Order: sequence, then C-alpha cells, then structure tokens
Amino acid sequence: MGSKHKLSSKGWLVLFVFSAALLAVGLGVFNVVTDPFGVFGDRVLEWWSYDETNNPRVAKFSYLEQHHDEYDSYIIGCSSTSSFPKEQLDQYFDANFYNLIMYGADMLDVEQYVHYLLEHYLVKNLVINVYIDNGVVYDNESDAFTGSMPWQVDGSSPVSFYSRYLFADPRYGWTKLNKLRTDSVIQDVHDVFEVESGAYDKSRRDVEPIGSLETYLTDYPAFVYYPMSEQKMTQTENCMKSVGAIRDMCREAGVNLMVVTAPVYYDYLLCFDRTEVESFYTALAEEIPYWDFSVSSVSREPRYFYDETHFRNCVGKMALARAFGDDTVYIPEDFGVYVTPENATEHVSRYWDVPEPDVSAYTVKIPILRYQNFEEKSLSVTQIEEQITTLDRAGYTAVSFEDLRAYVEQGRELPEKPVVITFDGGCLDSIAGCLPVLEKYGMKATVFVIGSLMGKDTYKDTGETISSHFSLEQAGEMLDTGLIMIGSCGWDIYKLDVTAPIRCGILRREDESEKGYTAFLREDIRLENELLSPALDGDVAIFAFPYGLHDTLSEILLREAGFYATVTVSSGENTIIKGLPQSLLCMNRYDITENVSPKKLLALIGET
Amino acid sequence: MSFTSGTFIVFVLTALVVYYLVPQRFRWVVLLLASYGFYFTGGAGAMGYLLFITLTTYLAGRVLGALNEKRKGLPATDKAGLERVKRRKKQVVLVTLLGNFGLLYAVKYLGVTFDLLGLPRPGLVLVLPLGLSFYMFQSVGYVIDCYRGKFPPEKNLAKFALFVSFFPQVVQGPISRFGDLAPQLTKGNEFDADQVKYGTQLAMWGYFKKLVISDRAGVVAATVFGGFTQYRGTVLFAGVLFYCIQLYCDFSGGIDITRGVAQMFGIDVAENFCRPLFAVSLTDYWRRWHITLGQWMRDYVFYPMSLSRPLTQLGKWTRRHIKGKLGKIVPTSIATFTVYFLIGIWHGAELRYILFGFWNGILITASLLLEGKFQYWRKRLHIRTESLLWRLFQMIRTSALVFLGRYLTRADSVRTALWMIKMTVLDPEIAALWDGRMLALGLNGWELMIVFLGMAVLLTAECYQEFGGHVRKALEQRHWLVQWAAIFIPLAVIFVLGVMGGDYIAPGFIYQQY
Amino acid sequence: MEQLLKLLSEICPGIDFEKETALIDDGLLESLDIVTIVGEIMDEFDVELNVDDLLPENFNSAQAIMDLINSRRS
Repeated sequence: MGSKHKLSSKGWLVLFVFSAALLAVGLGVFNVVTDPFGVFGDRVLEWWSYDETNNPRVAKFSYLEQHHDEYDSYIIGCSSTSSFPKEQLDQYFDANFYNLIMYGADMLDVEQYVHYLLEHYLVKNLVINVYIDNGVVYDNESDAFTGSMPWQVDGSSPVSFYSRYLFADPRYGWTKLNKLRTDSVIQDVHDVFEVESGAYDKSRRDVEPIGSLETYLTDYPAFVYYPMSEQKMTQTENCMKSVGAIRDMCREAGVNLMVVTAPVYYDYLLCFDRTEVESFYTALAEEIPYWDFSVSSVSREPRYFYDETHFRNCVGKMALARAFGDDTVYIPEDFGVYVTPENATEHVSRYWDVPEPDVSAYTVKIPILRYQNFEEKSLSVTQIEEQITTLDRAGYTAVSFEDLRAYVEQGRELPEKPVVITFDGGCLDSIAGCLPVLEKYGMKATVFVIGSLMGKDTYKDTGETISSHFSLEQAGEMLDTGLIMIGSCGWDIYKLDVTAPIRCGILRREDESEKGYTAFLREDIRLENELLSPALDGDVAIFAFPYGLHDTLSEILLREAGFYATVTVSSGENTIIKGLPQSLLCMNRYDITENVSPKKLLALIGET
Repeated sequence: MSFTSGTFIVFVLTALVVYYLVPQRFRWVVLLLASYGFYFTGGAGAMGYLLFITLTTYLAGRVLGALNEKRKGLPATDKAGLERVKRRKKQVVLVTLLGNFGLLYAVKYLGVTFDLLGLPRPGLVLVLPLGLSFYMFQSVGYVIDCYRGKFPPEKNLAKFALFVSFFPQVVQGPISRFGDLAPQLTKGNEFDADQVKYGTQLAMWGYFKKLVISDRAGVVAATVFGGFTQYRGTVLFAGVLFYCIQLYCDFSGGIDITRGVAQMFGIDVAENFCRPLFAVSLTDYWRRWHITLGQWMRDYVFYPMSLSRPLTQLGKWTRRHIKGKLGKIVPTSIATFTVYFLIGIWHGAELRYILFGFWNGILITASLLLEGKFQYWRKRLHIRTESLLWRLFQMIRTSALVFLGRYLTRADSVRTALWMIKMTVLDPEIAALWDGRMLALGLNGWELMIVFLGMAVLLTAECYQEFGGHVRKALEQRHWLVQWAAIFIPLAVIFVLGVMGGDYIAPGFIYQQY
Repeated sequence: MEQLLKLLSEICPGIDFEKETALIDDGLLESLDIVTIVGEIMDEFDVELNVDDLLPENFNSAQAIMDLINSRRS
C-alpha cells in the first residue's frame, strides 16, 4: 500500500471533526427547515397546528411573535382553558382573544407567559383559568422537547434551548414531513390546534351525535369505570403566589384581569382530599375574586365532558354567558358563582353535597316521524290525516326543529308530548294534501327538499318523468302558514354522472380527493342556499342525509355551513339535552309507511 | 449529565482542550476539577457521599501505610509487636469497611429491611447517589490493597480524590484498581493523536450500541414486561431477548464511551466486557461480563473466604469424610455461592436478584460436580471438543442459561418471572412471529430492522475480534477514503438513527385520551 | 518438586505443568483451581499461605509455586 494513501492519526482527527461538523450542520438545517416544534418560526412549511401539537408552549410563542398584532386579549391556562370559546370572549369583551392553552400548564407557566405578554405585546384583557390540578403540580419538569418553555419566557439559557432543537432527533422532522402528505381537513391526533384561535380544534368532537346517557356511557366507559387516583394538593401555596403575581402585574399594567375556574368532573373531585380542595378555592378568593365553575350540577353530567377531565366547549359557552349575564343562553341554575373572600368558605363547603342532577329537567325524548313520497308508497293523505288525528288525541304536539333548538340553546320548554313530523322529497301533492289537517291541529312539519328538483316534473339530466315537486313560490306559501319549515336534502347530490362512480348519499367517492369532495359539497350547499335563502330569510339550517349516510367529514362540512340539526333514516328515538347542541345531530326517524296503523304508530313512538 | 446528552460532548471537548493546554504537571488538576464538576451536575446532595467515601478510605490508607512501615521497622523476633500491628490493621480495615458498606446499606437496602420487618418506612428517604456502589467498591478495594501492603498509600488527598471520582467511570464503572489507574491519572499525559483517535473510535462504537441499538430494543422490552399478562410464549421470549440486547448494548456501550473518553486523555481504563456472547461456560461468561466486578469479588471476597481458617478447616474435614469430587469442592462452593449471592443483591435488594445469584451459583457448582460425567459422555459420543460446531453449541448453551436468568432480573417479581418462563415453554404461540404481533410492541418493521442490522454489525465485529482481529488497527492500514467512510457512515448512522436526548415522543401521543 | 507436579496434575489434568510458564496470564488456571491448589499445598507441604500470596507471579509456573512454598517453609 502506497504511503500517500495512508492517513496519519492527526489527519484522521481532522477528518473526524470535519465529518461531525458537516453532519451537525446538516441536522441543524433539516431541523430548521422542517421545524417540528415551531421553534424557528416554521417559515417553510407554516404548519402551526402541527408544531403546537408537538409543543404548544414554544410553537404558540413563535406564532404570536409573528401574529400578535392580530390580538389584544388572551386567555391562559392548562388544557381545560381551551373550552372557553373565543367567539363568546370576543363578543362579551368586545376584543380579539387568543387562547393560549398549553397542555399540563402549571401556574408558573401561566405567570411567566403573562409577564412576557405584558412586557412585549398589547394586552387589554386577560383571562386566567385556574384548574384543580394547579394545586397538584407546580414548576413541573416536563419533556425537554414537547414540554419546555421558550427561553424568552422562562428565562432559561438560549444556547441550551436552540442547541436542543437544532440537534433534535430527526425523527420529529421526518414524521412531520410524512404527516404532511396525509394531512386531512379532519382534525387528527397530530394537529389538534386551531391556529387562529389557539384553542383545541374540536370540529371533530363537536359533531359527534350525543343522545341518551346509556349510549354515552357505552361509548365512553371511563365515566363508568372512572380511573380513580389519589391527588395531593401540595402546591396550593405556590399556585396562589403566582396568581398574586399575575394580579399585581395586571394592576400595574392597567390590564383588565378576569379569573375563572374550570369545571371539574365530579368523580375527579372525589380523587381529592376535601379539606385541601376547600382551602385551594378559598385561598384563590383571598388572592382575587373569581367566577367559579368548578363544582356544580354540570360536574355530575358526563355528557358535558369530552373525557374524564375536559369539559365541552358548549359548557364554556354557558360559563361565559353566566359571567356576562347573557340570558339568551341556557345555563343550569347552580352553574357559576362569583366568589369573593366573603362568600368563599360558605360556597366551597357545598362542593361535596352537589346533588345528582334531575335528568328530566334538562333532557327530553323526541320521536321524529318520516314520511316520504307517499303516493308511490301508497300511503294516502287520508292515512296521514288519521295518524295526525291520533297523535293529537293522544296528547302529542308536533313541534319544529326551531323549537328543539330553542330548547337546547336557550332552555325554552317544549310542550308536554313533543313529536316532530318530517317529509322527504318535497312532492307537491302530498304536502299540499296534508296542509289542512296540520293547520287543523296546529301541528308543525318540516319538508326536506332537493333544490334542483324544485318545481320540476322531469329529471334534469335524463328528462325522465317524475312526480311533480313544489316550486319556490309554493314553498313560500307553505312557509307563510307558520307550520311548515324547509330543510335540505342537498341541491343535487343525486347527480347522475356517467364518467364517475355513483356517490353514496353525500359521502366522498373513493376516486375523489378530499379537496375535490369538500369543494363539491360546499358548492352544492351554496346552490341550495342561493335558491332557498330568499324564501327562508336566511340559510337553510336543517339537513336530511340522503339514504341516511354520513361520516365525520360530511358532518364537519355541514356544521361549518351552519346546519344545526341533521336527521338520518335510522329508526329510534332521540334525547335532546339543554346546553348540548350536538344532541340535534344525526337524529333518528321512524319510517312511517302505509303499513303503520295509528295504533302501531303510537306503539312505535313509545306510547303505551 | 448523561453520556448521551449534547452537554456531555461539549463538556468532554472542553476538558480535553484545557487538559492538553495546561502544563503537564497540572493536568491531573484539570481532571479532578472536571470530575467534581461532572459529579456535581448529578446533584449537589450526592457530593456528600463522594466526599465521605474519599475521606474515609484516604485516611484508612494513610493509617495502614503507617502501620505497614512500623511493621517493617520491627525485628522478626518481636512476635508480640508484630501481632499488635496486625491487629491494629485489621481494626482499621474493619472500621472502614463497616462505615462504607453501612452507608451503602443505608441508602440502598434500609427501606427493604423495614418492609421485611413489617415496619413502616422511615420518613427520611435517602436518595441513592449516582454510581455510589461503583466508586465505593473501587475505594474499598484500595483500602484492602493497602492492608495487604501492595503499594504505599497515596499521600496527596487531591490526587486520591481524583482516583475515586474520575468522571468517565464514576457513574457506571468499571471498578478500577488503584495500582493500574492512579499513576495514569496523575502522570500528566502527553498529547498523542493515536490515543485520541482510538478513544474517539471506541466512544463512537459505544454511542452506536447505546443510541442505535439499546434504546430501541428497550422499547420492546418495556412493552412486553410492562404488560406481560397480555402476551404468550414467543412474544415473552422476544421481550427477554430484546431486554438482553438492551442490557448488553447499554452497559457495554456505556463502558466503551467511558474507556474511549479516558483514552482521549491518554488513560487506559480496565476492560469490563469481553464479548460475553462468545462465552463457552457460565464461569467463562462471568469472566467476560462485568469483568471488574467479578475480579473484585474474586480478590476481595472469594480468595480471602476460601483461604480463611474456618473454610480451610472445613475443607480438610470434608475431604476426609466425603468421598469424591464433592468433598473437595465444599469450601470453594460456599465461597462461590457467597460471591453470587453478593452479585445478586448488588443489583438490588429483592428476592428475584438473590435467586438470580443462586441460579448462577448452582449452575457453576453443578458443572464442577458433573465435569467427570460430561467428559465421559463427550468421549462416548465422539465429540471433538476442538470443532467449531462444539464451540457453537457451548455458546448457545451458555447464552440459554444466562437468558433464563434474565427473566428474573427484569420481571417485577419472582412469580412473574416463573410464570413467564412457564408460558414461554408451554404456550409458545409461534404464530406471533408472522401475524403482526411483533410489530405491535412499540417498534415498527423499519425500527426492528435497525435493531437487527445493528446487532448483525455488532456480532460481525465481535466475531472478528474473537478470532484475534483488531478492528481499529486493521482499519489504519486502509486507504484514507475507506477510513473516512468508516468515520462518516457510523457518525451519520448515530446522528440519524440514534435516539438522542431522551425518548422520542410520537406526535399525538399526549392526546390519545383526549 | 515431583510431589508438587503430581499434586498439580491431579487437580488439573491436561495441563503440562513442567513446560507452562504463564499459567495465570494465559488463563489456564482459574480462581477455583488456584484455591484448590493452595488448599492441597497447605495440606501436603504443611505450610501457611494466605491471600497476600495469591499473586499471578506466584502461580504462573510450577517452579514459581515451588519457590513460594520454599519461602514459607523457612
């Protein structure tokens, strides 16, 4: 071997240092470009919801550095903070809120963030959420990558901070790239944040249909077999010190500060020591008066909770409505008390005695009847008349979806025995024929129409003759009676397109991209609204799923388009719940055919 | 400061630069400062233990040295004087040992003692400081060597403190001998590019084992042992296998880093592992696994015990009264059992560790007793003991025995371990190998492949060494491009595939319940 | 010396004690063997050996062992 090819040990060391430096730079560049934690401003991929999921503390900081001029108010705290909706906060405070929730945040995290915000950004209002866990954990050592604070906020060393993220495991960046390929508009475990509001993206959880307690407990067994664990509130003193510091900082900066306490699920409360809990909440009152939502009848209703510890956004809405005296929103009577040093001791002593709520006071069972194109099904107008008469005699009142909505959102009571009547298809003869009997008994009904068929008696794509559908003018006449509501069955979901496979209901076709499908459905809803809005004085807001088929994506898109109630074709009753708009989603309907005698009808809807 | 943290790398680099910049006679001071700095980052509270052990063993050494001098000065005829000195020496050693092992006992085993006695644990909980048993064993060995008069004691307290606390080895050994290590530490080594290169290569090898193989294998082991009731034979077997891989790569990898870093300072630290997978017997295994602990036990427990008066007397008696091999090995067997019992509880004060010790003791004694029978059968079966196949058989047999013992050290109780062994044998469910269950243990196919490829590289290298090859020397002879590849590829593998700075948390992991 | 060689080959058959000079360094003798040998020697030659004598250089060859015994006899 020629000696010129050999390598001296010194040469080896030089090569080693060179190689290591090369790799270090390569890794650093990769981590800056992919920026899986949003440390470097995520300039290339700009996928904040992913970064914030990996580390909300750091990524939200970077996001705010770029966007803080869009906000003038902040709500800060641990994960339950997310459920105080930005829309209500903005409305009540007349401000522009950013939800600075950080999972597992302790009060030191909050204090440090408040300090930074007040020093560097414009802040008008500040809402601090204190959760029962804040008495358990303080100054928590968390994972160096997913749980650490930005150095600007907690005053740690920038060298250690940046070197950690520069030389982070490349799998973090690699996974981000991989997830980017399969990203969906549906919220996924790797992107759980709404970028603009800063809150958790609950689009998926908030379209889950919720009904009877039994079904809910089957779906979420954690509420039955609650994971009990002993919780020690050793950090109350530290937590309150931080609350006091926040109060003083806000006072000095002239910032409007509001403190709220998040609802605690009752079984979770039982994991705590009573004396410790009581002294936690009274100590908080000593620092600052606050709106207490921690323990009330809400705590004992699992349907108001996403999981064992997190209350739903709709509960956050009720809480804020209480604090701001908004009486257009339903609020359970005992939910929310303004706690001051004067009433604190007496108030917290009631926590353990919160009675199990009376379910019948805030839920009601609703049967929905479904009539469709009856002349074909040989169900005659006479038969319908007979059935409606029977319902009236049995004491039933047919209500509209508006009535259900008022019950759910505002708590307006329904008549004694409510029932909902729906007609699918919008065939002229049948509806027109039924109108007199509905008027006679004052029964309301909802008609689901297919926009593209309105006023038609031939099918637009094939020219085939079909039964005549009522027109927009005729619809207007019906609406004027005050008894008929119009819902949608889609404008032209049933489109026959020989070049593409047939769509199943409104579901996405297999050959269709998610983007293409989203565009299709939005366009369909737009056309429907374009047609119906003038007659309805607003957008159509009730939807019947064609063939009853639905999935998460279609549910999300419909909700986004403003539909507050949706119905399927599955047989069964429904439970609707005050304060829980989701109970109006994917409702069941009894199919009423010519074989259903009046007696059978009563039996079907549970009348004995 | 973990070996695998970036801080450690920066720390070592800084220490190296400073070490070679200061004049040679002060270089040991750099090491001492670095060592105390390193240990301090592990928790200020632990410093007390380090100082206590350093001071007591230093003083004991000085006193023993003085007594040894005194003894030399006495004429051989002064029987009473000699006897007095000997007694004094024994007292000094006894007090030092009691003090040190008492401390170890207090922090490591006191809680368990209270449990055993059915008493509530005392409120004050002593935290086990980093590496206590390693540097304590090392210091105690020094005291005994002083007692035996092997070398004059170290007079300079600071130099002695460096011997106890030398940072690459303070946390996890190896347990070095004063005579071997101390002179190298205090000498003030000259910069030698060869040494720095070899050290770097060795440390790289260690990082490869730790970050690429061990930390991955550990995921599977944790999954299987964490939820063992859900699994059956093959999966349990895989769990133990991955645990063995994790344990070996983690421990030996850590030692490679220790030795590599020390070598960069020109210091040769004792070898602690010698390819244990190639052991042909359990005795051989213990000569290759955690070597310095075994040697420590041999020199400071096994020898003195076997040659102690009670045991030699017993040996004489048994040889006369018990026929055959058994009579001859009774005293050594007692000493053997004691050693393995100590190794057992050295791991932890739990029944399963003690059983693990006995498991080894029993097998080793049994193999001695049955040696004659084995020879007879080997002859009858015409087995060529020099053949490669026989060697392979021995290796597999030894590994299997060690493997069985590992159920005990990783399972959470003896019952669990026995249950797992039973399931492995009686309910293998081999289908788990291909029906996807192996992919549900925390590592996907790609990650498993990395573990297997990593092990293949490891075994190839060890095989080469076992047959006398020297990887680093051989590499030196190659074209510089080859050498560069041998730098760049492993470095890139460690950078890209190494599990760095703690556990990687998959996105969404935190939200699984939410 | 003969007595010693006989004793040694009884304990460890298969080792050529007359020729080997690195019994310990080459790993031919293990700790167990050494302890057995020491025990036998103390019996046969009626000498006292203790732990301090268990140094590799004292056991590397039969001659070394013999020297050790002789040094203790005097």
